[in-house]
Amino acid sequence: MAISEPYVPPSLARSRSRAELAIQQYFQGTSVSSYVAFSALALMFFVAIFAKVIAPYDPLVPAGQPMTGPSFHNLLGTDTAGRDELSRVLVGMQTSWFGALAVVASGVIIGGLIGLIAGAAGGWIDAILMRVTDAFLALPGPVLALAVVAAIGPSFIHTLFGVAIVWWPLYTRIVRAEVRKLRASPHVDAARVGGASRWRLLRRHLLPGAVPVTIVTASLDIAALVLILASLSFLGLGAPQPAPELGSMSAQGVTYIFNDWWIPVMPAAAVALIAIVANFAGDAIRDRIRDR
Amino acid sequence: MIRVLSRRLLGAIPVLLVLVLVVFILQKVAPVDPVAALVGAKASPAVYAAARHTLGLDQPFPVQFFHYVVHALHGNLGQSTVTRTPVAADIGRYLPVTLELVFMAMIFVVAIGFFLGLATAQGWRGSGVLRVVMVSGASVPVFLACLLGMLIFYRWLNVLPISGQTSFYDAPTGPTHFLLIDSLLAGRLDVFADDLDHLVLPAFCLALTPAVAVGRVLRSSLEATLRADHTRTARAKGLGEKRILIVHALRNSLGPVLALMGLQVAAMVGNAILVELIFARPGIGLFVAQAIDVGDFNAIAGVTLVMGVLYVVANIIVDALQSVADPRVAL
Repeated sequence: MAISEPYVPPSLARSRSRAELAIQQYFQGTSVSSYVAFSALALMFFVAIFAKVIAPYDPLVPAGQPMTGPSFHNLLGTDTAGRDELSRVLVGMQTSWFGALAVVASGVIIGGLIGLIAGAAGGWIDAILMRVTDAFLALPGPVLALAVVAAIGPSFIHTLFGVAIVWWPLYTRIVRAEVRKLRASPHVDAARVGGASRWRLLRRHLLPGAVPVTIVTASLDIAALVLILASLSFLGLGAPQPAPELGSMSAQGVTYIFNDWWIPVMPAAAVALIAIVANFAGDAIRDRIRDR
Repeated sequence: MIRVLSRRLLGAIPVLLVLVLVVFILQKVAPVDPVAALVGAKASPAVYAAARHTLGLDQPFPVQFFHYVVHALHGNLGQSTVTRTPVAADIGRYLPVTLELVFMAMIFVVAIGFFLGLATAQGWRGSGVLRVVMVSGASVPVFLACLLGMLIFYRWLNVLPISGQTSFYDAPTGPTHFLLIDSLLAGRLDVFADDLDHLVLPAFCLALTPAVAVGRVLRSSLEATLRADHTRTARAKGLGEKRILIVHALRNSLGPVLALMGLQVAAMVGNAILVELIFARPGIGLFVAQAIDVGDFNAIAGVTLVMGVLYVVANIIVDALQSVADPRVAL
């Protein structure tokens, strides 16, 4: 190891105590509103993970008379086939939540990787990569996603894929900007003079600096993705019929809006609920990271 | 401004080429065989090959792409595989209806967004409530806004219509295809008012999320400007708060707002599809929603191209406006 690099203790002993320290530090002086936001986020994860356990009925099988209003037996009423709306909404929330997380993760990985390469390499590699990124940024993402899914055929996985294809350029821009800023900073120069390899520079000295701003952007992005995935599902580009997806459930129910309003409104309200939780949690995470 | 416009117009060319390339690739990837769609699944190999040749599909991909670009430039977007009518003609018929909706929504975005931004930045009475509304408003899916709008304004208050573009069967159909303009040209004020009636609720639902976003950005941008040195000077001169806000702060705070509005157009053209579907407005959104149902990819590709071009043009306009609001941008 080069002399100019700071001494780093062996990784096994470090990881746990550092994580604990980080969590401790994180919650010190946290405001009430961000406690509420983080609790809502934890609850959201709980619902998403255990949706099928919490759901009182099978979401695909009739559980009562069709189109009955909210009652003690069916808290959110039943849909046109008599299936329990609450169970379907819960499972739909699971799909929505993990779908949005998956797309954000793929955006961060793909976009981050391209941004890291462009920022670290510079020169003509940077120029080419960023021209392509800018071209994608200058096009309307939701519409392109729609075209991609329509081309490869409707299904839940295809929806995720279609949105993921157009969702990386933002992260490329952010990570590249961060990396370029870091590349000029003294600690990177020191490491380079100290003889650190290019790969080591990337991994140890450039990448960690781009993490905070990426986390903030990603957490604020989740709500937008929940909305877009629900919209595509509403247009019939998600999973085929009986699958409990919030967007398509709402779309199926639009014709019943005036007599059985809960059929289209409840799934749509669930989408709004997820997005609100994601937005507030995103704000709280941003505040935490900015304050540090 | 001219310099910004010309530079941005040149910069738009590669962007549009990428757009056409993406749509072209998607057409190649789509599982629908355009030749089979034209001649039928049971056509003999000779007929099939002949049709393939007329469509130019036996040529190498770069040549096909070149022809595709040339056709698109001539306004030829191919034939709908379902209705066998030219896609460009269909879009030409439906696009004005969508543009009317988006323009109207833009007016709402500016009005509501500026109201929210000014109210919260100045701390008007009750603006605390507005801030909560602003965070939640950004989280409402457009179809929930539409559903609730229908329930409130049609079912309960019964003040606004919820379906279609106009209730007149003899509404004028030319020359511009913008019903608001056509009805005025034809002197039909009743149709004009009826069209506005049909437009208000969909446009409001479409405007809700972008308006909230504009309000948030305007607020933070105003707060920064109101702390700046020149604002302090204005205050020291003894100017009133209202004058400082309108004359000294607002214009300086417009940059980020305009940039955001350019970005929001992307969400709006996407959401317009849902709004038109729910309110049964015969625009390109409803057109593409129906095309999705029957798997008519030529129509979807055409609409994607048109919406992409609209978005790029909208952002060029936004850039030009930005250079007007803040001449430093043009440097």
